[in-house]
Amino acid sequence: MSAPAAREGRLVGAVLRCYPARWRRRHADEAAELAALLIRDGTPAASIAWSYLAAAAREWLVPRPGRSLSTVATALLAVACLLGFSAALAAGTAPARAGTTQPSSGPVPPKVGPAPEGAGSSSPHQLTPCRRVPPRQVTGAIPAAGRPQPSSRGTARVRSC
Amino acid sequence: MSTREQDVLRRVGEASVLVLVSLAAGPKHGYALIQDVKQFAGVELGPGTLYGALDRLERLGLIESLPADERRHPYRITAPGAAALRVHLDSLERVSAAGRLRLQLGSV
Repeated sequence: MSAPAAREGRLVGAVLRCYPARWRRRHADEAAELAALLIRDGTPAASIAWSYLAAAAREWLVPRPGRSLSTVATALLAVACLLGFSAALAAGTAPARAGTTQPSSGPVPPKVGPAPEGAGSSSPHQLTPCRRVPPRQVTGAIPAAGRPQPSSRGTARVRSC
Repeated sequence: MSTREQDVLRRVGEASVLVLVSLAAGPKHGYALIQDVKQFAGVELGPGTLYGALDRLERLGLIESLPADERRHPYRITAPGAAALRVHLDSLERVSAAGRLRLQLGSV
């Protein structure tokens, strides 16, 4: 068996181990042989592995008679861990991009706009406090009243942030 | 019981129906099933999808596995499986006919 074929076989074998034992006892040999035949026909091993992985997740997650909810929850957790591990592995195998990243020269100060007058802040790194805005008259649209009406909400204290 | 309730294949998914249609022509193992479905439906079943469908159909008693031939298990449609497939295909036929008629009337 050539090295790539052995690697593909190992990949499929590893994915088949993700199935519940009951399923493996029943189908594992057959599934491995089917994968070998499909790979021989030119189907990418990754696509076969993905198909088995998704089906294994379904196999664990779909409740069956006699399987308790805690088993399902544990399986869900295991799948989440597996996905997290795969993502970490994928992130670790991106050396080209990682090599070009410039090191940071220190913490980036938060972007703060100019402090409003009377805010009492001279440093740009301090957050601007909320300020009270005096109530203003809002032009109402009540023609029967004959003149602009102040909104009842205008009397409430309004904050600018 | 209404025809819709009799149609047990209504909820099993397309892959299971395709597998059942393929097995209606005679017993097959996994690889032959994938090839046959690809040929008559133009659908490439993933191996994971295939085993999911086989498990589901076997649990419902619609197919059964035959003694293993080397490492491969051939599968065969059962009498209830054939009956369920007939009901499902009749249902699809009615929906298909209604759809075609309405497309003609609406002349979209």
